[in-house]
Amino acid sequence: MSGLASEEVAEDYKSSLEDLTGNDRFQISNLTVIAKENTEHAMAISRVLENHIRTTPPQHKLPALYVVDSIVKNVGTPYTLFLGRNMYQTFMNAYTLVDAQTRRKLDEMLKTWKEPVPGSLDTRPVFPPDITRSIESALIKARTAALQQEQARSNLLQRGRGGGTPPAMARPGVSHHGVNGQSHRTMTPPSGHRPGNELDALNRDLEACILAARNDFASAPFDPTTQQRLKALLDLQTIMRNQQLTPDQLRLVRDQISAFRPQTSTTYPGPSAVAAPPQAPQAQISTPPAAAPIVPVAATPTPAQQPVSQSLQSLLNSRTLAELIKNTAIRQQPTPPPPVPQMAPVAPMGTMHPQMSATGSSTPQPDNPLIAALRSRGILPPASAPPAMGQAPSGTGEALPFLIPGGMRPASSVPTPPVSMTASSVVPATTASMKIPRVALVVSLYEAKSNRCGTCGRRFPATQEGKEKKARHLDWHFKTNQRMSEAAKRAQTRSWYVDERDWIKSREVDDDQPAGDGDDNADGESGPEGANSKTGPPLAWIRAPNDAARRNTPCPICQEKFESTWSEDVQDWIWQDAVQVGTRVYHASCYAEVTKGGPVARSSTPQAQVQARTSTPDSVLGKRKAETSNSPGKTRIKTEV
Amino acid sequence: MSLPGLELTQPSEERHLASAPPSQINLKAGSEWRFEVAYGHIIKVKLLTGTAELFGTELAESQTYTFSGTKAAIYTWHGCELEVSAADTGNTATSDGVNAVAGHGAGGCQSEYTAEETPMTEYANLHFALESMRQDAQGSGKDGPRVLLLGPEDAGKTSLAKILTAYATKVGRQPVVVNLDSTEGMLSVPGTLTATAFRTMLDIEEGWGSSPMSGPSPVPVKLPLVYCYPSANPLDAEGSVYKPIVSRLALSVMGRLAEDEEARETGIIVDTPGILSSGKPGSLELINHIVTEFAITTIVILGSERLYSTMVKQYDQKPSASASATIFDERVSVLKLSKSGGCVDRDETFRKATRESQIRSYFFGTTISSSASAALSLSSISSSAVTLSPHAQVMDFASLSVYNYTIVSSDDDEEDEYDPSSLGMSGSFLPSGADDAAAHNPNSDRAAPLPGVVGSFSENQQTSASESSSHVPLKKVLPPASSALANTLIAVTHASTTSTPAQVRDASIMGFLYVAEVDADKGKIRVLAPIGGRLPPRAMIWARRWPTEVVGLVG
Repeated sequence: MSGLASEEVAEDYKSSLEDLTGNDRFQISNLTVIAKENTEHAMAISRVLENHIRTTPPQHKLPALYVVDSIVKNVGTPYTLFLGRNMYQTFMNAYTLVDAQTRRKLDEMLKTWKEPVPGSLDTRPVFPPDITRSIESALIKARTAALQQEQARSNLLQRGRGGGTPPAMARPGVSHHGVNGQSHRTMTPPSGHRPGNELDALNRDLEACILAARNDFASAPFDPTTQQRLKALLDLQTIMRNQQLTPDQLRLVRDQISAFRPQTSTTYPGPSAVAAPPQAPQAQISTPPAAAPIVPVAATPTPAQQPVSQSLQSLLNSRTLAELIKNTAIRQQPTPPPPVPQMAPVAPMGTMHPQMSATGSSTPQPDNPLIAALRSRGILPPASAPPAMGQAPSGTGEALPFLIPGGMRPASSVPTPPVSMTASSVVPATTASMKIPRVALVVSLYEAKSNRCGTCGRRFPATQEGKEKKARHLDWHFKTNQRMSEAAKRAQTRSWYVDERDWIKSREVDDDQPAGDGDDNADGESGPEGANSKTGPPLAWIRAPNDAARRNTPCPICQEKFESTWSEDVQDWIWQDAVQVGTRVYHASCYAEVTKGGPVARSSTPQAQVQARTSTPDSVLGKRKAETSNSPGKTRIKTEV
Repeated sequence: MSLPGLELTQPSEERHLASAPPSQINLKAGSEWRFEVAYGHIIKVKLLTGTAELFGTELAESQTYTFSGTKAAIYTWHGCELEVSAADTGNTATSDGVNAVAGHGAGGCQSEYTAEETPMTEYANLHFALESMRQDAQGSGKDGPRVLLLGPEDAGKTSLAKILTAYATKVGRQPVVVNLDSTEGMLSVPGTLTATAFRTMLDIEEGWGSSPMSGPSPVPVKLPLVYCYPSANPLDAEGSVYKPIVSRLALSVMGRLAEDEEARETGIIVDTPGILSSGKPGSLELINHIVTEFAITTIVILGSERLYSTMVKQYDQKPSASASATIFDERVSVLKLSKSGGCVDRDETFRKATRESQIRSYFFGTTISSSASAALSLSSISSSAVTLSPHAQVMDFASLSVYNYTIVSSDDDEEDEYDPSSLGMSGSFLPSGADDAAAHNPNSDRAAPLPGVVGSFSENQQTSASESSSHVPLKKVLPPASSALANTLIAVTHASTTSTPAQVRDASIMGFLYVAEVDADKGKIRVLAPIGGRLPPRAMIWARRWPTEVVGLVG
């Protein structure tokens, strides 16, 4: 090793670094070991590291900095010396280019640099204080500047939007209002004075518009424009009810609504009502491609750093909404009749296929987790109840029977499963019987459950019960996605296996079962972060304050602002991981950490973390608690469904 | 680059891997696409239209599935269109010489082709036959079918078990799947025998799925009951270790079936190691043991005429070992199914890589990883990746109570000497120690009326077998810590440190430790535990080099 020239080592190191694209503990510790073994080339390696951090794309900067962190903590001098020289530039350069979440990680890492290496006898901090201090003060400056800028911008925005929007932009306008209203909500205090009668009038107008749109929708349920409009209006109404708008915003809304009126009246008697029902399914199948780009967006868990605006924004995207409405409409729409010919022993495959692809192409969208979100927020009615149609005034009821004679809902009451069951009961368990093709029975695996989940491919029967199950299943997906994105922020561990007694007593819970205990019953292990783990049973949260000044006050410990998230349980905006002490609000985790007495090393390099853990008595205590709670006698098994 | 000796059945043009466009594969109804992906290479598969299933588990449309280190097949009943592409792994050749092995097939598969002849009809028929028995059981209070899958290595037993499990869960059943093959872990590391009730769907990418973790998982986790069998070969020591563990496992499974109505109706699916079907001396005795312990009703033989005829002679239409067999006139049926042409031999290298990857994912989560994990950042590629953070800690070896089997790998070193101190400690075979009684009594009470024979049978077996009933070949590993511990796994049992060897052997497993480093002078070992915090004071079993030595799991 030592025989190699510095350039060679550097070149090697560089290429290894370039492969480091994620926070991979192996790679990082590997790189640390290499650095340790080549301390005589420390200068070259440090140079390579600095260059790499400077040039690598932002998303790769954090792992690279973790390498630095790992090296300075595990190897120390001379790397601390070499890397420390340009640390300010390196750090700040990276910090400016990365996203908020990475910044938080960088902050955490910086914090550990001010403390001695965990587990070491050396009481000196990782980096000399002057280096960390200069970075910190720069960060504080940058933060205040950003805050001021943000406030200025939001003011500007509001003023800028005071003017009327062209009525032609009806649909985008609505979503634009939503965003505005939302940003307003977080930025400024609710203005006390508001002319109530104006609001009432506005609400009345809105009601009227919605009524008209509903009529439209009922008569032409598959016309995307009516759906979009109705959805947009309903959302607007939700916003109006749930959020307080300033007078000029109200004016905007009013303009918008009056712009809507003529439109609705023209489309109301529109020809779409005459659309022949048999054509409707085709129309649907042809629409998804247009909406396809939306689906992946909605399916990915929303970035955690700003869940509020994210979900609201996507919520208020009228196209998405139209999609959603349509999907519920699809679910509403009776599924194609069970393929009767397939009950015959040898069914022609050709007849199955088109049907399969038809159901297949229409299913992916209903599984959009947003539906679940919307439903749980009461924006969409539960899947079991007809959506807008059911709420439509009874006057339009004639529109519905119109669909049924058209052949849209034939034989949906004929359940297929019984058929397949009786058929399957004749399969004898003999070798000869195994060779006989029974294509008809394959129906029990596929067509009998025609309602497919787009996320995992699971199937549900096309019955009412199946729909309910699927709705719960989708809720489960949505929750899991949410929890996955939350969980990605903290370390997770493999649980111990259960013992015999617990296993015998345990029952598998399916995600399509009625919710209840299956939800958060089982955080069997307190997270690896011990006391400050977010998995800990009582999640600390408070309602997000309405007062803007308080809302913008950061946590006094970590100087970070709080994020408002919508809580389904509380039906209000809350701050997760927050605790109010006196008049001030802290992050519960920060507060716990500080009040634990003495700084606890929260190092950011995995390896260092491990060392810290073993040397910290806290985690041991925390663990013991978790252990007893998991002891036999209490049959509490964590399956995390 | 390609591996020598791998012919492609489908001629494919020279594809430049770096810029290979996604390939589309059209499957006709009733055909399957077979593919092999080496460890270290990743392919992405997407179902564009139609329906498709991987070992019975249906793929969702337009979802991207990633595979690495996989030999599998995607079957379609109705015809489908697949899109296959190589995952963008950046530089495949890294500085440390780890190369992602990409083949020439679509998406860089080592081998991939479309096959029109598959035994899927037979496999599905088996499911339908089982399903009729289950319906029968539902109505009459009978027990559901207990299926034993036999066949030589690489005959597709585990794949068939997956298909049967997937179909059963798909129609809303809850089979208990028992893995008796210690060379392959099911929801655990190799070196274990497990039982798991499956209700939720299997994980397409990860085979069976994952055991519980502290965080959420995109595919519902499964809850395995794990026992340690510290050798690849069940025939070691004439099965004198394997048998009691199987009995114990069967006892627990029967206990579950007695209490869990849905599991009882659906029955059991038992997957076995190929060596049982190899005709080695003693293997028939072991098969008989399994058939009796699990009261098997349906024996399925894959790809071995000889074994089929032996089994027919011995079991076909004989009453099953279930206590209720006489009441319901329950008889064993022996079936022969074709081995799929898609079955490929997994060489020792691949098997070792599989074992390593199972151990890795036990500690570090379900990122598709292997020796090349250092070269690839997978978290961004795999949709269902869950990264776990195990905890390293240094422990005093003397404070642990570690046992190892004295029968296994006698060629290892002189530590295998028989220790008289463990003699006479195991008077009773079934644990009746005060500390354990609470845990076990309910099972045995419950289980007794059902399998009837289980308890007494195993005891008889044991006494008649050999003098091994007088002692269990387990002995405590005394300090100083042997350097052979390094890079191996230690199983943490649920048995207390004061248990007798028999109790330790029969105890289910809580989890595994990986020994990263041994400091013989100080008597300390550095271990990786799945969870941080104090390690519970439990008896442990050290299986020496089995399942495998994983060097450098911890840096």
